[in-house]
Amino acid sequence: MSAPRDDPAPVIEVTDLVRDFHGRKVLNGVSFKVMRGDTMIIMGGSGCGKSTLLRHIIGAMKPTSGSIKLFGQEITGLKEAELARIRRRFGVLFQSGALLQSMTVGENVALPILEHGKLDPSIVDLMVKMKLEMVGLTGFEHLKPAEISGGMKKRVGLARALALDPELLFSDEPTAGLDPIMTSVVDILTQEMTRKLGVTAVVVTHDMTSAFRIGTKMIMLGTGPNQGKIIAAGTPEEMRANPHGEVQQFIKGEPDGPVPLRLSKGDYVERLLGHPGYTRTSYSA
Amino acid sequence: MKDYLALNGQILYWTLLAPWRGQFFKIGEVFHQMVLIGVRALPMASLTSFSIGLTLAMQAAGQLRKMGASQFVPDLVILSLLRELGPLLVAVVVIGRSGSAVTAELGTMRVSEEIEALEVMAINPIRFLIVPRFLAMMIMLPVLTIFGSYVGMVGGWSICHFALDYSTASYILHSFERARPWDLYSGLIKSVVFAWIIITIACHMGLRVEGGAEGVGQATTGSVVWSLLIMLIANATLTALFFFA
Repeated sequence: MSAPRDDPAPVIEVTDLVRDFHGRKVLNGVSFKVMRGDTMIIMGGSGCGKSTLLRHIIGAMKPTSGSIKLFGQEITGLKEAELARIRRRFGVLFQSGALLQSMTVGENVALPILEHGKLDPSIVDLMVKMKLEMVGLTGFEHLKPAEISGGMKKRVGLARALALDPELLFSDEPTAGLDPIMTSVVDILTQEMTRKLGVTAVVVTHDMTSAFRIGTKMIMLGTGPNQGKIIAAGTPEEMRANPHGEVQQFIKGEPDGPVPLRLSKGDYVERLLGHPGYTRTSYSA
Repeated sequence: MKDYLALNGQILYWTLLAPWRGQFFKIGEVFHQMVLIGVRALPMASLTSFSIGLTLAMQAAGQLRKMGASQFVPDLVILSLLRELGPLLVAVVVIGRSGSAVTAELGTMRVSEEIEALEVMAINPIRFLIVPRFLAMMIMLPVLTIFGSYVGMVGGWSICHFALDYSTASYILHSFERARPWDLYSGLIKSVVFAWIIITIACHMGLRVEGGAEGVGQATTGSVVWSLLIMLIANATLTALFFFA
């Protein structure tokens, strides 16, 4: 299905990506490449812009400036119909699963198959069963998303993302809110896709165990003064050895370091005593 | 405003042009939405119409009796219902019951990333979600309006029959002698315009929800308020055009 791993053309190429939200640069000159067969981990603290970066790569947001190429094609200026053609080649697993609540699990997985192909219903049924078996959820076709657990929703989301056998899989926080066992299950599923089927994966996460388990390449976005910039990039081993304080603090999960423990603005005592420079907030029951 | 007009354009494209290019909306979903938007609003629309027919007949009887003109009660009831109250009241019920539900549903889908998921699966949300709701509303509001007007007439009949000693036959005869086809058509034209206003505003408000549960609540309120306001303005304009110009 996919080209050999030494295919020199990158599947994703992001160059000097800038996204400005009302004067605040959430992404500030991000550049990286993802090669075929890689599992690229995008990590960073809360609010560093990693989900925003993912939304730009899948074409859900338009950048202020910079270039994003998917499969060698620039997507930033594409029309909806052209973007739709590229979108059929990748799958996205959303943080919440983003299953359509009005449809059953089976209908959710069948949706992209039915929308993008004219297949016999019996073949669609077969495909849905196969995709659900891949994520270990055979027999759950008739349940609504509200009737299954968070971990199962993510697995159904993964089955739906893989419904059209994509070359590229994006996952937004695939393990957030899952227990450790379910986290491993989702990790193993992602690994199977990349190793057995040759799918290229881009995973946004701040779960370090999961990141080092599945990642073959990593980038880390900074916070504070480094907001929206890549502060480290490399293989998992290179990241572990990276001397950058913020990277080490993040990997080890230390509460204080380059990213301060407290994010309070201004002087606490002056605020407390009602210094003229600060306004008093009046709360009422 | 620009977004709203763009949505109208997209709805027209995906309803009228896209099917010729092989991109169909789901017919089954249109029927499903017709049940949700129209059929489920039937009891409430009927109750409102019946009550208005009833009270209209009582008020008319009270006033007309003083002038010795009780025989005109059915005329007044049927004209008021067909031209004004039928379309207007049914639309008010549908705004409160179905328009708000459409906004809340789409808003929740926006907040829970369902609409974004459709977009990245290369499934156009206008074709997939909006067009079935649009067609369902455009079909069901006029149907409900006709139904509501008849139920209102039954309300009027109950007063005429039991309080004013009209026979059923003479009530019906009186009504149909007075009403002209144009009275029915004008009401239907109004209901089509109202349907357009209600569903486009409901969808527009739902699709642009931001910020969680609070955003959904605000959008739903906004949808009801704007639909009512624009519908009342449209109603006054159409009445002026049809009967006053």
